[in-house]
Amino acid sequence: MSFGKLLERIIQLIPVLLGVSLIVFVMLALTPGDPVQIMVGEQSITPEQEAELRRDLGLDKPMVERFFIFLGNAAQFDFGQSYYHGRPVSAVIAERLPATIELSLVALIVALVTAIPLGVLAAIRKNSVLDRLATVGSLLGVSLPGFWFGILLIMLFSVHLQILPVSGRIGYASEVPTVSGFLLIDTLLAGDVRAFGEALRYLILPAITLGLPMTAILMRVTRTSMLEVMRQDYITFAEAKGLPRRRVLFRHALKNALIPTVSVAAIEMGSLLGGNMIVETVFGWPGLGRLVVESIFLRNYPLVQAAVLLYAVTYVLLNFIADILYTVLNPRVKL
Amino acid sequence: MNALPRLLLATALATCPGIFPAAVLAEDLIIGFTLDADTLDPANHRKRETETIIRNIYDGLLTRDANMLVVPEIAESMTQVSATEYDFKIRSGIKFHDGTMLTAEDVKFTLDRITVEGAMGGQTSPRQGLMGPVASVEVTAADTVRITLKEPWPILPAMLPNQQIVSKAYVEKVGNEGLATMENGTGPFKLVEWRKGDAVILERFDDYYGGATDIAPVGKACVDRVIFKIIPESASRVAALLAGEVQIINELPAFSMAQVAANDGTQVMTVNGTRSFFIAMNMEGEAFDDIKVRQAAAMSIDKDLIIDKILAGTASPIDGILSPDAFGASELPKAGYDLEKAKALLVEAGFPDGIDVTMDTEGAFKDTAEAVASMLTKAGIRTTVVVGEGAQLSDKWRTKGAPKSGDMYFTSWGNGSLDPFDIFTPTHRTNDRGNSAGYANPALDALLDAAAVELDVEKRRAMYREAELMINADQPYVYLWVPQDIYGVSKRVTGWQPSADSRINLHDACLN
Repeated sequence: MSFGKLLERIIQLIPVLLGVSLIVFVMLALTPGDPVQIMVGEQSITPEQEAELRRDLGLDKPMVERFFIFLGNAAQFDFGQSYYHGRPVSAVIAERLPATIELSLVALIVALVTAIPLGVLAAIRKNSVLDRLATVGSLLGVSLPGFWFGILLIMLFSVHLQILPVSGRIGYASEVPTVSGFLLIDTLLAGDVRAFGEALRYLILPAITLGLPMTAILMRVTRTSMLEVMRQDYITFAEAKGLPRRRVLFRHALKNALIPTVSVAAIEMGSLLGGNMIVETVFGWPGLGRLVVESIFLRNYPLVQAAVLLYAVTYVLLNFIADILYTVLNPRVKL
Repeated sequence: MNALPRLLLATALATCPGIFPAAVLAEDLIIGFTLDADTLDPANHRKRETETIIRNIYDGLLTRDANMLVVPEIAESMTQVSATEYDFKIRSGIKFHDGTMLTAEDVKFTLDRITVEGAMGGQTSPRQGLMGPVASVEVTAADTVRITLKEPWPILPAMLPNQQIVSKAYVEKVGNEGLATMENGTGPFKLVEWRKGDAVILERFDDYYGGATDIAPVGKACVDRVIFKIIPESASRVAALLAGEVQIINELPAFSMAQVAANDGTQVMTVNGTRSFFIAMNMEGEAFDDIKVRQAAAMSIDKDLIIDKILAGTASPIDGILSPDAFGASELPKAGYDLEKAKALLVEAGFPDGIDVTMDTEGAFKDTAEAVASMLTKAGIRTTVVVGEGAQLSDKWRTKGAPKSGDMYFTSWGNGSLDPFDIFTPTHRTNDRGNSAGYANPALDALLDAAAVELDVEKRRAMYREAELMINADQPYVYLWVPQDIYGVSKRVTGWQPSADSRINLHDACLN
């Protein structure tokens, strides 16, 4: 990977971001619903007061002008004030982003740790009971609604067994100084093992709920690609040479079989980051997904625009990482 | 042992609650609450949930008791000097959370910040409209503030509990943006930490002046700490209550009432709400411009059945726009459920084969709207429910000058002040914002305008009675019900009761 390639990728980001900005802006502008009316709600207001509010929010200007103002400011990383929070959008998003990233990463780990061994087992014991169970399980995993599965976990582990918390990120007696915003890291930096354990307990149910569909997908991908690899000549050759089965499986087969799994995982990570608002709602997880959905309903334009831009950048970067991983795992491919 | 099993075992041990019990302080009263505060600035929000949290941190000049009576809080007394002038004597010895004393200057600064254009760093407070026609706020003596109105506005006292007093020196120090996340109120609790989107953690303010003298007990708050824990999903809120993680939850769904009541240690508490539900019938459309069709619609809906079966008995039927608890509410003639008469009225109106209409509503009310639609359909008003999103529907149905396009709109309007002014006028005055029915009655407009500025309480009450009779006869809306607010509460909580304005005042709450 040369510096030139890296630069090329970064330059490629610019049209993507411009396109995303334009699409989001136009879509928000075309969606019925007036931010001022929503903000005022049911209270009495005179037309003058309404006009004043519209002016304060910058909504009195024509759409095209508003778009260019937005672009100009965004180029300087100024995404404006959130209509509802009385603070810059970037500050509001920055507060919520670490919780989302932390949950997504743990969900990714849950998915990888479960899916790869299961996928490999299902492949090497093809058509066994375990394989069939794994197939049915993965079908369920993809089709179970996260909302329903999350509530089910809460009822079992929090209400009946009372061993895991229903919602939140950490208990209220724990005071962890914020360094990175990731509680698992901050608790360790503070040397507070009890708080670390507590943060982990709060993560378990949301991470399992969020990671389940990804687990199912990755398991299927691993199984299929493992089966394919196992049919290759070099595996037959390795086995014919009399290499131990374990060595053939893990050294020769798995390394190649994991290539699609890793690419899919990197791309799926993007959907974890963007698509976890349901899990965040069910588990009261103070992440970005919930904030963005609330903001869409309230037509909090500046926040939605900034968040969607952030999602776009994340997707592009994750794709980029997937490409790099692909070349690492498969040196025949060059970027 | 291999690395992986070792790691798994370590994780299991680390997460085992027996080894690492969640640290909980004994006197934490935790509220499972639907929405986080947007800001902690009392002058820069328009959301009820934000106000609920803020009002445990900040006090107002006036407040309301559990029966919704307006009583002095930071003010010691209120005197109406003339039709447009009110004097407020400020109680002495009130401290802000930073230890400084509250003065009349702080009150003037707070009210100016809300009412003067551009007073918040060039921006105007979105709560300006809640203060009506305020002309000026002046300090007339060391402990007295005078509010002067541009015109008589008798509901000023009813609206003042919506505004909380901030410290002038503190706002000047931290600025408007600082006040969004930090606080210096005079309320019973002070902010410990705001974990955005997760929780607002408050602790007792030991130098609290005691609060409104008309609301016992007067003194410091009972519990050490109060935590608003944000749990937007209602099923999770109920689970948190049942698991003992929280002690009070708001917006308990009616279908979960039995579960909470049957559980040891929890109970259901209800209070009459302030939100009137109704169906707007588009009088600018083709069918509903005829009063007979509107009457037919009203007669075909069995409100009692829906309240009983779908709302679990937690709503009061209404025959006008006002809640039974609102000022000016009175007994009104009932449309009454009469399917045959409804059908006959449709025929009389020239629709012997019935009519086909759509009814807009939001997702949250889909079930109830479907039940209503099936009743209307039986009478010949064949109704299809169309579920839309709140912002999109209010855009479609709010008055904006052009005629409205839909047929019916199953919706509601809040009346937190319980004064008719902020529900009657917007929903019924010609071309007012919330007049979804497109109703236009000049006689009613004149009456509502006169009632809004009438100072004689009894005369004003009679005027609203007359207005209610007018709309009851004209039936621009099918008036449905006022639902109760439902809370799930741990039996460990004492001294707290739900309030009709949805405020969760935790000053008096104790934990056993």
